[in-house]
Amino acid sequence: MKIAMIGWEYPPFKVGGLGTHCYGLTHSLADKNLTIDFYMPKTKYKSRSDNKNLNIIEVGETEIFPYDRPEAKELAGQFFESVSRYNDLLVQKIKGNYDLIHCHDWLTMKAGIQIKEKTGIPLVLTVHSTEYDRSGWLYPNEWFINIEKYGMEKADRIIAVSHFTKRVIVEKYGINPEKIFVVHNAVYPIGESEKKNIVLFLGRLTIQKGPEFFLKAAKKVLEYEDTRFVVAGIGDMLPNLITQAINMGISNRVIFTGRLTEEEVKHIYKISSVYVMPSVSEPFGITALEALSAGTPTIVSKTAGVSEVFRNCLRVDFWDTDEMANKIIALLRYSALSKTMSEQSKREIELFTWDRVAEKTIDVYRGIV
Amino acid sequence: MTSVCLYFEVHQPMRLNRFSVFNIGKDNDSFSTYFDHKLNQNIFKKVADKCYIPMTKLLLDLINKYDGKFKVSFSLTGTFVEYCERFMPSILDIFKELLKTGSVDLIEETYFHSLSALFDSLDEFEEQVQMHRQMMNRVFGYKPKIFRNTEAIYDNRIAKKIEELGYKGIITEGTEKILGWRSPNFLYKPVNSNIKVLLRHYKLSDDVGFRFSAHGWPGFPLTADKYSHWLSNCEGDIINLFMDYETFGEHQWTETGIFDFVRHFPGETLKHKNLDFVTVGEAVERYNTVGDIDVPWAISWADEERDVSTWLGNDMQVTCFNELKDIGQRIKEQGDKDLLYVWRLLQTSDHFYYFSTKGFEDGNVHAYFSPYDVPYDGFINYMNILQDLKQKVL
Repeated sequence: MKIAMIGWEYPPFKVGGLGTHCYGLTHSLADKNLTIDFYMPKTKYKSRSDNKNLNIIEVGETEIFPYDRPEAKELAGQFFESVSRYNDLLVQKIKGNYDLIHCHDWLTMKAGIQIKEKTGIPLVLTVHSTEYDRSGWLYPNEWFINIEKYGMEKADRIIAVSHFTKRVIVEKYGINPEKIFVVHNAVYPIGESEKKNIVLFLGRLTIQKGPEFFLKAAKKVLEYEDTRFVVAGIGDMLPNLITQAINMGISNRVIFTGRLTEEEVKHIYKISSVYVMPSVSEPFGITALEALSAGTPTIVSKTAGVSEVFRNCLRVDFWDTDEMANKIIALLRYSALSKTMSEQSKREIELFTWDRVAEKTIDVYRGIV
Repeated sequence: MTSVCLYFEVHQPMRLNRFSVFNIGKDNDSFSTYFDHKLNQNIFKKVADKCYIPMTKLLLDLINKYDGKFKVSFSLTGTFVEYCERFMPSILDIFKELLKTGSVDLIEETYFHSLSALFDSLDEFEEQVQMHRQMMNRVFGYKPKIFRNTEAIYDNRIAKKIEELGYKGIITEGTEKILGWRSPNFLYKPVNSNIKVLLRHYKLSDDVGFRFSAHGWPGFPLTADKYSHWLSNCEGDIINLFMDYETFGEHQWTETGIFDFVRHFPGETLKHKNLDFVTVGEAVERYNTVGDIDVPWAISWADEERDVSTWLGNDMQVTCFNELKDIGQRIKEQGDKDLLYVWRLLQTSDHFYYFSTKGFEDGNVHAYFSPYDVPYDGFINYMNILQDLKQKVL
């Protein structure tokens, strides 16, 4: 089976879970003897394949950061122009010698649909997040929703990263549930090292990820426990968050790291005592799996996709910062708790392999090829 | 003749309130703040309607219908009796009527359905047995002769203590771990004491308790006719069928046909000429022991392992258990009655069961009975309460 897969980020260039997903998926598919041409925008980093079944094809010269919402809700500007140019180039470049086209999220949908219409090749679409998630369910933008809806309607099969996301696709976009299949994400285990007295947030600093709730919980924890809070990542909320920390009088206990390299990300996971993912809306949440694979006890939002399938973590409502603080303090104080959670979650994380994701993805492919 | 000995364990724990670290040291009234009285009342009333009332009435009817040839035994925990007295005293009246038939025996246990038999010293255990004894006397005017420990937890040390306290028999699990090739369908003697041990036939007991409504099970659907044939084909003096009372109407809902099964069970069983019913008290009068059992390490009737790992299997459980022990010592030195009562309520095995992290097969059973999302939440809650209690006795 030969697949044209269209993405927009791939290690070493990545801004979110999507790049991680595409890397794990393409490699595991290639290991199962599928031939994959992975198309992505050309970046200043060079992505290379180390597998004979996998080709990485860079298109154009576009650099795009799809998750950062422009502060002003204008839809003009360079970002949207480059998305559009990337899609046009894809349509020119991809010819008909594939069994299947596989797109990820809205940025590549236009190309996917046009290629399908030009060549008649079936189209699979993976939905990693929707406009509702990215906006934190506050003022979702019609323009994005319309693109997403059109792509979902045209796709022959849709892969959703959680049952939560499947429900959104059915209820908000009116898509037939029979063509939607849930495939949960996986992780390459990071491994452990000695823990330090650190509570970690790691993710884009956007409304979707709920970093302000992390700071509110931090304030409460610091009244009882002496610890440090690390906020790792960048995003449009960074300046506001720094101000928030100063106003709460906790800026000496909160460290904003800015953007981290892949090695730094692994390191911070390994040395943290608690990982918190307080997302307002989280289709899956690969970062939780990454933290767990580093032996770090993890607190996740109840609605996050990962909490549908992963048992050995703590769940909170993202807005319930009292309970979040209660759980953080318990993990810092009661070593029996963090030890047991760490041991149990390491065992459970072994079930979350990219090989399993590839198998389930191939099942979806077989339904239309 | 083989005797069928039916025994039911009747218990409701005092479930805990949500108690966060921010509650520690804030309120003096431990009893109101530690326990979720509203939830407990609701659950109790629900289980009473589904199980306690209909099942106890049904048993009373059946005993009358078969002129006392149908017999059962019960153990009622102190917390269960407190619930009845507080919310539904009429339930105790049905039990009193049952007792009057003469076909019913009552069994002793620790008042709080506690893990106190696992403490280093058995003093606290003994006090709780005495409390249960006094309660049996006060409520039923009855003095039990047979003892069963929480979740059938048993070892040589416990058997010896029970002999010293004057009981004639003790109940535990008929596991291969202590029997080897031998059958559970006889009475045995503890290697170190002179009482009789009744051993639960776990396969036949679980056929009703766990598998009754399991569609994938080859025995499904289980009818009274089929089940009594299985009993009739058993060898030995006695078949001990011990289960949670909540099996009837709560774990197995009315819709599964469990009450129809019970309704037909005595008649179908008595059709077999080689079967009759006995209470636990009659069993130890009628039958002699056939061999010794030696149990240096505690066993129980729980989970696949049939040991105490259900309650003390992970670090969280062991940590809480050790803290609980330490706090008790201080409370006893201090002599505060209210704190002592609260401390004892915290010894109930259910609290520890809720933060067991055992594998998925057993874990699913645990999850069904737990008021917590994950075991870790159960631990955090319990541990926060212990910290509060500890501050009160410092």
